[in-house]
Amino acid sequence: MSRGIRGNEARYGWAFTAPAILIIGVFLVLPILLALWVSFSDWNGLGSPLGNSEFVGGVNYAKVLVDSGLAQRDFGTSIRNNLYYVLLVVPLQTALALFLAVQVNRRMLRGRGFFRTAFYFPSVTSSIAITTIFIFLFTSSGAVNQVLGWLGVNGPNWFADPRGVLHLLLGGLGVDGSGAAAAGGPLGLSWWDWFAGPSVAMCVLIILAIFTTSGTFMLLFLAALQNVGAEIEEAAAVDGAGPFRTFFSVTLPMLKPTLFTVLTLGLIGTWQVFDQIYLTGRGAPAKTLLTPAFLAYDTSFSDLKWGQGAAISFILFGIIVALTLFQRWVLRDRDAGRAGRRREVRAVARLHRDAESVRAAGTAVPEAAASEGRER
Amino acid sequence: MLTGCSGGGGGSDSGNGSELTILIGSSGPAETKAVQDAADTWAADNDAKVKVIAADDLNQQLSQGFAGDDAPDLFYMAWDQFANYAGNGYLDTYAKDLKNAKDFYPSLVDTFTFDGDFVCAPKDFSTLGLIVNTDMWAAAGLTDADVPTDWDSLEAVAKKLTTGDTVGLSFGLEYARLGVFMNQAGGTLVDKDGTKATADSPENLAGLEYVQKLHDEGVLKFPSELDAGWGGEALGAGKAAMVIEGPWIKGIASDYPDTKWAAYELPAGPEGKSTFTFTNCWGIPANSDTRDAAVSLVEYLTSDDQQLAFADAFGVIPSTESAAASYAEKYPDYASFVASNDYAVSPVNFAGSASVVGDFNASLEGMASGNVDLKGILGTFQEQLQAALDEANG
Amino acid sequence: MSMTMHAGRRRLATIGLALSYVLLVALALIYIYPFLISISGSFKTDAEATQQPLSLLPATWTFAAYERLFTSVPLLQWAGNSLLITVIVTTGRVFFDSLAGYALSRLQFRGRAVVFACLVAVMAVPNVVLLIPRFLILKELGLYNSYAGMIVPIMIDAAGIFIMKQFFESIPVSVEEAARIDGAGVFRTFWTIVLPMAMPALVTLFILSFQGSWNEFAHFVVSRNDPDLNTLTTGVASLTSGQLGSGNQYPLQLAAAVLMSIPVAVLFFIFQRRIMSTSEGGEKG
Repeated sequence: MSRGIRGNEARYGWAFTAPAILIIGVFLVLPILLALWVSFSDWNGLGSPLGNSEFVGGVNYAKVLVDSGLAQRDFGTSIRNNLYYVLLVVPLQTALALFLAVQVNRRMLRGRGFFRTAFYFPSVTSSIAITTIFIFLFTSSGAVNQVLGWLGVNGPNWFADPRGVLHLLLGGLGVDGSGAAAAGGPLGLSWWDWFAGPSVAMCVLIILAIFTTSGTFMLLFLAALQNVGAEIEEAAAVDGAGPFRTFFSVTLPMLKPTLFTVLTLGLIGTWQVFDQIYLTGRGAPAKTLLTPAFLAYDTSFSDLKWGQGAAISFILFGIIVALTLFQRWVLRDRDAGRAGRRREVRAVARLHRDAESVRAAGTAVPEAAASEGRER
Repeated sequence: MLTGCSGGGGGSDSGNGSELTILIGSSGPAETKAVQDAADTWAADNDAKVKVIAADDLNQQLSQGFAGDDAPDLFYMAWDQFANYAGNGYLDTYAKDLKNAKDFYPSLVDTFTFDGDFVCAPKDFSTLGLIVNTDMWAAAGLTDADVPTDWDSLEAVAKKLTTGDTVGLSFGLEYARLGVFMNQAGGTLVDKDGTKATADSPENLAGLEYVQKLHDEGVLKFPSELDAGWGGEALGAGKAAMVIEGPWIKGIASDYPDTKWAAYELPAGPEGKSTFTFTNCWGIPANSDTRDAAVSLVEYLTSDDQQLAFADAFGVIPSTESAAASYAEKYPDYASFVASNDYAVSPVNFAGSASVVGDFNASLEGMASGNVDLKGILGTFQEQLQAALDEANG
Repeated sequence: MSMTMHAGRRRLATIGLALSYVLLVALALIYIYPFLISISGSFKTDAEATQQPLSLLPATWTFAAYERLFTSVPLLQWAGNSLLITVIVTTGRVFFDSLAGYALSRLQFRGRAVVFACLVAVMAVPNVVLLIPRFLILKELGLYNSYAGMIVPIMIDAAGIFIMKQFFESIPVSVEEAARIDGAGVFRTFWTIVLPMAMPALVTLFILSFQGSWNEFAHFVVSRNDPDLNTLTTGVASLTSGQLGSGNQYPLQLAAAVLMSIPVAVLFFIFQRRIMSTSEGGEKG
């Protein structure tokens, strides 16, 4: 009898998971294998890649990474652009989300519901709608520049301005791109180009990303804050600590797991900017909005260099995995065990903890997962 | 069954029962409708069905169509992507066998020749001209005698036409516009043999510097600086008094019916007259099942009568010399575009050139916001162009 | 002594609160105002939208943008496609994700751990990396330019399975066991006993799936090129990215952006309680 039930369970177990396995297998695993082949082939887009292409080794990867030329420069440019994007968006969105969460978590605050709604609303709209709105806000005679005009500032022509912010700063100090800076750096860009900073146009996308994600992450922090709420107050009361000290020495450490989650989601999401680039002119101005995600798409679909585009996709994949691992390592628990087995256990525990915060946040983390999508 | 008896007098019946899809990059409803009407007429004579699709983004939809084994049976093939497609073996080489193959402008045939073969039939062509807002022109006290003929007079009228709300001259910040100044200064991008890049020359630099000078003086602004999507919009909205555009300027009539304009040949540079000619061809995919029907349709669409009908509907200039001549007579407003085709050149165009030119365009964008190293830009352009040429020439 | 400290602290707290208000109101304005002027912008003339973008009320009201959207732009067709895809994807995700989540949390079968491990690995694959691969497989299977190709690949998401699994694990197992002893089959137990208890998680999944598929863009860029299969996202994107000659038409673009945001906004306000419930729970507790 009990064997029957178990046997039944096995059958149902496979039956229940079959649709998921099938769809994920066919539309995720197989495609990746196919694309991996394309990235090592000379397929030109005609017919099936299986049978209409030849193995060419690492040529496509070399063109992007090693051979000096336009392909390498474009890739270098896209990496530079995205790097600045990540460096600014991830800390700022995390800090702002945390700040908002602490503010709207205050008991004495009236209208908390209103504020939460206001801060969260940008997160539910589609990237297409919100980018359209931002293009409208940031035209040369647009809303933002009119506001700046009241303050006596002559705003730039945001989306058409390719000047790097660091270049502008350095230019103000009388530093220019001659001398040592003009020397060649990695990936076909000079060091001077590497240190351009985000372009003025990129700054708009950075603001856009912070604007659309801070609400989601605020909800995550909010959930975590409420889980630890009572403890904090007790601890603070006993200590007689001021609000700032309470925050930095009591609250923040307790939020560490959520902080991990938010940083990881942010890091993964910010390397996937796609929609916004598609809408704002395919990398224009002067390719300063080009990102690896968009470059991969464009190389394949517009330039018909399918192998090269697929290669860029896989390099991007590698970057994201490497950075996530690196971040885990930097933020690892100090007391992590050395033995492999123990580390494994901890990894699982951490996974569960992340999942826990997923659940704790109710809709929030999956929201975050969705917003990860949004940042594409 | 009953429709089978289409033999009649009209047309060949090579379309027998086929269903064709045409993908076009349409300038608007007028163009889409004209193409559909023409295709329907042909279809009625040939027992076929034709569906015309206006693309949101022709290049992307086309490349996805090919890659998705779902290419349209007939499509607009833009000059700048032609070499890429031909080089990848995407296109059927049908044009050399057309009955009217000899009627097309030689320069257009040249554009669509790959490896010595005339691949696809030019659909029409456009040249760039100087389009002037006639009301502003008169208001500034200018007459026909003031129409600029060289760089100095262009600069002079641009200055006169620049007022508080209006800039004298505007055109897109890209090779397809700035290139005419480089050519007028005597510059080229590739030598005659098509093996050596010649972008990094004093002539090209002179062309760019002239544009830079006009911009520095404030008499030239690029459309993005005027919150306009392209030159025509800047002209139509009264933000620019002169623009450099082609006959498609006709399209602004629907959005800006009150703007009156006149078109002139571009002023000559230090080394004489020069303008660009742009063209599309009717592309047919390689190994297409519907090839014969599509070829028959192209013959119909490129006939003089049909081309003139297109000209009536949406202002393009016919690609055959005889039809273009009747066009110039019928539409004196557009005669300057036809006239300038005598010396017009096609922008550089070989397999792989599109992305290099794209990169050049990207680096030019710095011109709008201040100082750029024009010499350095041309140097980079030169390197990349040479590399692409070497690859194209194998 | 301690009394004065207390009073001092209270005064500090009051000042802090006042500062918070000022800051929060300013921030809320920054977050909301763009949406308000977008709505008003969609009722302005082209010229006014460009020149007076900040005003909340149009000087001259015009419905021209909306008229154009419903006449010369196939907005209704886009909306129809979006709706169809969203309904199927959402239903599929809610059903299949909970099915798989249940199996992975409750049913004993060999290979379960492997399936779960694979799932976690799959969750790590970023979506943009999948654009070219997905296009290739759709072409290979002949699903390119079809509803099936647009729907099926996104009909299951690993994250959703993960959420459901976590939720099922938090439900006490005793209820099911009672049902099993009564002789109910596995599927019936799942369908009539467990699923109703999982309502909160299902609602969450529903919200996420609806929002995710309604707002999906990149997948629809690579899975079709037929304009008849345009969704709101790809359609509006073609309006915004402005092909040659179409120029700036802010009211039209804003009107489209406003209209396409309505369904998710409605969803948001219906389920606002739930979405924000994290906070309220903490208060009562």
